[in-house]
Amino acid sequence: MSAVRVMVVDDHPMWREGVARDLTEAGYQVVAVAGDGAGAVRRAAASRPDVVVLDLHLPDLPGVAVIQGLLPFCARVLVLSASGEQQDVLDAVKAGATGYLVKSAGRAEFLAAVGRTAAGDAVFTPGLAGLVLGEYRRLAEAPRGNGEAVAPSLSDRETEVLRLVAKGLAYRQIAERLVLSHRTVQNHVQNTLRKLQLHNRVELARYAIEQGLDGED
Amino acid sequence: MSVDNALWRAIGVFRVAALVYAVALAIDSYHRYRHAGVAVAVLVVMAAWTAVTVWAYRRPGYRTWRLVGADVGVTAVCLLATGVVVPEPFRHTGTPTLTAAWVGAPVIVCAVKGGRRWATAAALVLGAIDVALRGALTQNAFTGTVLMLLAGFAVGYLRALARGAEQRMQEAVELEAATRERERLARGIHDGVLQVLALVQRRGAELGGDGAELSRIAGEQEARLRALVGLDGSRPPVTPRAPRQSGGDAVDPVDVVDLRHLLRPLSGARVQLVAPATPIALPARTAAELVAAVGSALDNVRVHAGPDAMAWVLVEQESGSVTVTVRDDGPGMAPGRVAEAAAAGRLGIAQSITGRVRDLGGEVTITTAPARGRGGDARTAAQVGCARVGCAGDGGRRPPDVA
Repeated sequence: MSAVRVMVVDDHPMWREGVARDLTEAGYQVVAVAGDGAGAVRRAAASRPDVVVLDLHLPDLPGVAVIQGLLPFCARVLVLSASGEQQDVLDAVKAGATGYLVKSAGRAEFLAAVGRTAAGDAVFTPGLAGLVLGEYRRLAEAPRGNGEAVAPSLSDRETEVLRLVAKGLAYRQIAERLVLSHRTVQNHVQNTLRKLQLHNRVELARYAIEQGLDGED
Repeated sequence: MSVDNALWRAIGVFRVAALVYAVALAIDSYHRYRHAGVAVAVLVVMAAWTAVTVWAYRRPGYRTWRLVGADVGVTAVCLLATGVVVPEPFRHTGTPTLTAAWVGAPVIVCAVKGGRRWATAAALVLGAIDVALRGALTQNAFTGTVLMLLAGFAVGYLRALARGAEQRMQEAVELEAATRERERLARGIHDGVLQVLALVQRRGAELGGDGAELSRIAGEQEARLRALVGLDGSRPPVTPRAPRQSGGDAVDPVDVVDLRHLLRPLSGARVQLVAPATPIALPARTAAELVAAVGSALDNVRVHAGPDAMAWVLVEQESGSVTVTVRDDGPGMAPGRVAEAAAAGRLGIAQSITGRVRDLGGEVTITTAPARGRGGDARTAAQVGCARVGCAGDGGRRPPDVA
């Protein structure tokens, strides 16, 4: 099997090089690096990476816009953020990022996260689990206007799993406690994210139709 | 300034309306006039002057003292012309002056241009002419003068109020812009510093020795700075604090605060705060007690689970209740330890956590499990505190939920 192709996007050269070196040493192939959002989208189109490691705070574009630009070329975006602004992280994940990590995460944790992202798994920190839980509750309680998509909801088991992730338990510990397989825990977590992203896409499409953007071309 | 412009426009409206009124009164009194030609000429002058001033006062550059003086002068001359047109007996018995209410316009002009004092002066001058024309301080002349004085005074006062308000607004806008710019710059700097600290932390840990120490310090500072900067910008609590009443309680019970902001200072390298992206609004007193309870729980973690134990503080809000969960990855404790400690006179969890939350109408659940897992590396035992607290927005309490 050939090496996983990774692109690193960060506006701090020192950080970018450090991450790229770590990845190379760990056997990943760093196919491109970029320092801004526009450059990231352009290079992703050319180099088609398997995983993009993305800093949310870029000088030219908001994180959500970069993720939307990247998704046609790379389905797996792992968000790294230094300040971890909650709303930004939540928006990034809703826009399609499949994982989130604070920059201070250790080298091993970071490399493991890239590996899991490449394998198609969601990378959840306790912080992200808390945000996702909060978002489901917000959606459930928010009044809905006409024509708005029915808010997604979590099953009892999904809520249980997500709350345990939010309390800092590792998947292995959760699997043990709930007497589930590791894979099942992983699937539950993944589902919570997928439903949120789907809802986000439906809402975006609805908004576009409302604004008459669909009939333009 | 916008209020000034509105006032100047209002003067124009007043003057046109007053002109129409003066013409109507002149037609009504026409049969008493001595020199009808002069009366018509005066009305034409009034109409022309109305047009000139409406045009000129619309432009801030023309709102000069010279024009205002001319305004008072032209009005006084038109008023004096009444002496030529209306014979003396009629003047003394209440036939209106040629200018009628039109005479009030320059008084309001003076009020807007110079304030109450100038308006009063203009009103006194024009009122004196009016009284002189009527030969005595008749009720008509007196009422007219008093109305002019009141109008001038009121508009002058209004102008002063409006200017003060506009100035304060301007200052507030400037301050906000400056603050926002500072926040924007600070965010950029904070992000950069966080990046460097994160890098030092990572590289230092790989170096070992002194590097590891550097890494540890960088990690602590990073967590502190991130807590300080706030996870969603630097928004203040949900509502600004109401001024405290002197001698009263330190915290106003109807104040509403965002629980996340109060919990943030408790987080650090070994304590992670996990919360939703939206504010968790709680009455200030409830929030303060809850934060104190969480603080006690974290102290407890440090004492019993050791300095290396990680702790997670999960904050959740469901319709009507807020749940805060504190969990650590320490070795756990034997069931019944809490009750034993309380019986032995040590307060710890019993008083500082359970007591506080119970006072708020909430409930605390403590669970612990002996270490499980395979081999010695699994430190999976958990100590979970679960506080459920009613969070009615009106500061009221609700019966405890069943946890």
